[in-house]
Amino acid sequence: MAENDFEVPRENMGGEEGFGDKAPRRFQRRRPRQVIPDYVDWRDVDYLRQFIPERGKIMPRRISGISAKDQRRIATAIKRARSMALLPFVWE
Amino acid sequence: MANRTYEVMYIVDPETAADKIVELNETIGKLIEKEGGTIVRMDDIGMRTLAYPIKKRKDGYYVLYEVDGSGQEIMELERRMRVNDAIIRFVTVRVDEDRKKALKMQAKREKRTSQRLKFRKTEETAETAGELQEA
Repeated sequence: MAENDFEVPRENMGGEEGFGDKAPRRFQRRRPRQVIPDYVDWRDVDYLRQFIPERGKIMPRRISGISAKDQRRIATAIKRARSMALLPFVWE
Repeated sequence: MANRTYEVMYIVDPETAADKIVELNETIGKLIEKEGGTIVRMDDIGMRTLAYPIKKRKDGYYVLYEVDGSGQEIMELERRMRVNDAIIRFVTVRVDEDRKKALKMQAKREKRTSQRLKFRKTEETAETAGELQEA
């Protein structure tokens, strides 16, 4: 039993070796840090548009480059605007 | 409990007659007052293209209410809106807490900048510091 338990992680380790071959993932460069207003208005569509690339998705934080707190506020504002058809869920 | 601010936005079916829309807005305004809320702002945004079709409509008539109240009137209002066929979509957002937070952050920032000015020797502050020392 003890031997079997030991073998299981070993097999997993063998699988991990494959990851070394992958090229490191490249991210788009972050945007410069920008100032987010204290109150993010969910009706201000023109402002929220700058966090929505063509496809209509919410820009991830690693690209938008804003703080986690601000990102949450922006994201909820976008979601609220979406529910009222001010912003699309997807852009064709 | 009492003082909360809400933003109530709803979309009216564009195919309802114009006078019916006005009537609907009036009844909603009256309902809010009757239930104990006060209308801070009523914004008739008007016709707007929807970002995606809702109930096969491509446009919608948007109306926004800003209401001060306890939340009781919102419950009644939402119940009525759910039943009403002319209203194709509505949303209520509580805004007072976020606004309070925004004000707090603003105050904090102002305090910080004023504090920073005290230590930085610009012409103005150097002068006032000199005056203080003299006094």
